Formats: sequence, C-alpha cells, structure tokens
Amino acid sequence: MTVRLKITRRLMETIRRDLARPHPFAHERVGFISAGLSSADDDLWVLARSYRAVADDDYLHDPSVGAMMGPDAIRKALQWAMSDGVAIFHVHTHGGRGRPGFSGIDLREQAKFVPNFFQIAPQCPHGALVLSDNSAHGHIWLDGDKPCEVITGFAEVGSPLNNWSAA
Amino acid sequence: MSRFDRQGFLGVDSESKLRAATLGLVGLGGGGSHIVQQTGHLGIGGYVVVDPDHITESNTNRLIGGTLADLEAATTKVAIAERLIRALQEQPRIIPVRDTWHNATGELKRCDIIVGAVDSFKEREQLERFARRHLIPYIDIGMDVHDLGDKTYLIGGQVILSMPGKACLRCCGLITDDRLALEANKYGAAGSRPQVVWSNGALASAAVGLIAQLLTPWFKEPPEFVYLDYDGNRGTVIPNDRMELLRNKVCQHHPSEETGDPLFDMREFNRFIADSALRNVKLSWKRLWAVIAKILGL
Repeated sequence: MTVRLKITRRLMETIRRDLARPHPFAHERVGFISAGLSSADDDLWVLARSYRAVADDDYLHDPSVGAMMGPDAIRKALQWAMSDGVAIFHVHTHGGRGRPGFSGIDLREQAKFVPNFFQIAPQCPHGALVLSDNSAHGHIWLDGDKPCEVITGFAEVGSPLNNWSAA
Repeated sequence: MSRFDRQGFLGVDSESKLRAATLGLVGLGGGGSHIVQQTGHLGIGGYVVVDPDHITESNTNRLIGGTLADLEAATTKVAIAERLIRALQEQPRIIPVRDTWHNATGELKRCDIIVGAVDSFKEREQLERFARRHLIPYIDIGMDVHDLGDKTYLIGGQVILSMPGKACLRCCGLITDDRLALEANKYGAAGSRPQVVWSNGALASAAVGLIAQLLTPWFKEPPEFVYLDYDGNRGTVIPNDRMELLRNKVCQHHPSEETGDPLFDMREFNRFIADSALRNVKLSWKRLWAVIAKILGL
C-alpha cells in the first residue's frame, strides 16, 4: 500500500508563511490542514484542501517545547473534522532545508491526540506533518486503534512539479 | 553523445525526472498522437493512454503512427500509441485503456499530468474536474476550423494549462453553459469536425513544451496558468489576453472543498486492504503447497 499526500504550491506557501510568523510567547507555530481523499486499488491519496492556523490564544505556556496547543486548539480541529467530514493533519515546521523529521516530543504528542479524531470522523484517516523550507515528512493513522504509518510520497503541485518519497 | 545530450539544458537530473513521470493522455487522435510521439522522444517514462476507438480512414490524414496497414487491420488507437512509444523508449511503463476515460479513473489518478485531446466541451469539463479533484495539472488542446464565408476559413485553437487552484477552462471562457447547451442540442447531428495534421502538430508541440516546463523547467518561475491561442492563418501561437488578466485568479468554479472523492470512506478502504492481504496469504499457502506437492511427487 502507498500513501501519497498532494498539496498545491500556493497552499504550501501559505502554510510556510503562516508558520514563520512569530508568536507572542511560543517558539514556533502550529496549524491544521484539511484534506479530501481518494484511492485506487491499495493506493491512497491525501489531497490537501485548506489550512487553519492555531489562534494565538490557543497556545499554552510551556517553555520546555517549541509550541504546546491548548484544549481549544484541539477542540476546534475536531469540530472542523466533524462538520466538514475531512481528514485533519497537524502541521508545524522545523525550517531549514532537506527532509525533516519528527522530534521525540512530536511523536509523543501526536500519538496522544491524533487517534481522538477517529471518534469524530472515522471515515477519514488523520495524521501529522513536519515541514522544512523545501520538503516535508508525515505520519498517517489509517485506523484509530492501530499505529501510524509513514506517508510514502509527497507531491507539491505547481510549476514545476515537485515530487519526493519518504525512502 | 548520448540520446539526451541535446536536451541537457533541461537540467542534470532531467533524464531521471522525465523517466519517472507518468503522463495521462486522453484522446489519441490528431492531437493526442502527436503528443505520444513527442513525449516518447522527450523521454517520458510512464503513460496511461486512453481512447475507445480504432483507426478509421478519416483518421489517416493526421493520426501520427497510424498506417494504411493499421487501417486494414482496424488497429486500436491505444495499440498504435503503444507501438509508437515502444519504438522510441526502452522499457516504458504503458497502461493502454481501450475505453472511455471514465473507465480509467484508477489509472489516471496515478498520473503526474493529464492531457486532454478530446472533441467535446462536455468531455473537457468533466476531465478537468476529475483532474482538479485529484490535484493533477490538466493540459487541454483543441482546434477548430471556422467558416468565414466566401470559401475562406480560419484555423484556430488553444492550449490551456489548468493548474489546480488557478484559472480553469470556465475562467478562460472556453467552457460556458451556452456552449455546453449548444453542443448537447447538436448531439448526433454535428458530423465530423475539420482537422488537419499541421495544426494538430502546432498545438501538440505547445502542449509538450508545457509538459517539459512542468517537469524539467529551463527557466525560473514558469507560469502556473497558461492560455495560448493558435492562429493557423497567421501561423502564430501567442498568449491569450486573459492569460495576464487571470494570472493570479483563484478559481471559484472548482473550490478546494471539492478535492477528493466525496464518497470515500476509510473504513471501507481498510476492509479492502485487509481482504486483499488475506487473499495474498491464501495465495501464498496455495503456492507453497504446490511446491511441496511437486517435491513430494504428489
């Protein structure tokens, strides 16, 4: 099985611009991407639709991490998944260039909150992405009761096309 | 000198990028067959070629790769396309679909770019909508011959790069409700549209330029929306005025909320994956048993 995430360059640039804004106290910003889905045989496509930033007030003071979302941030994302019936992907950036990777804290936190989305929108997969300035890496949960999988491929759709794989 | 030395300016990794790309080609008549040939030369490695028809006598004035022997044998257009590509490429990845593209959606989803060389506005609109839903750049080519009266004609046409999120064929004014209604009313009585090989070739060449631009750009910041007009009487291919006007337009006809399959359900997909895994396990046991039986002489 392969999982490919596709996103327009325009949306990717919007996300990178937003995540680069300084926050009053958090070291980094986070947001959520909604996505539609499609499949053929055992191939799955996650097709990014839109982006919502986590509001300034929805961050918690936690100097031990780059950014910590409060319960309102998660609640709003859950509401988005429920009302629009979409896949939701948490997104943040580590900056720099080349293939980024999740930190230990990222892995711990995403394992806590991503499976909750299946209680609201079990018809969609959900996950988390980490960006660099020219690439991305991601995890996807296909089922809330099973471990996540690595997103196998990405396509940034624009001119020129930019494809890369997790391997 | 190697095969691709003369197009080395497309980038040091252009050969591998072109080889890795998969192109969906819907419509393998006058325009589509030129694109098959040129992309075969260019070095595109993967193809989904779609057309339900076989060659007929009226195709032989323009169908690249089609021969009189094919006419005799009623060779399918997908077979002609496949033969053309295999004559130009070593081990190309070709999925021929002798059917309408509506029955090739699984294959087309895997394409990096889809090119539509189809006759009707309805087909164009549906194909573009499919491509948009799957975030696939769509390139549309079309030509027409207009009767100016007094036995004079104007050959015209267009090439449009419809990039998800950017201006679409409706934004360009190419597809309108009036045109669709007119086409629907004429259905079955329209007859064959005039088509000539050189105009098809000019439009297809412009489209192949856009394909190369998307995969291996040879200049910075290639445009994401392209609308070119072909004037076969003047012999020109120039940007349509709307290309500049619509450059930064966000398309309202295909909102991002429409992206994806509206009927997709992850639970069904997971069941399908589990079932196919089970089938594979059963198959493996059958194969293993066949090997054991052979060894034991059973």
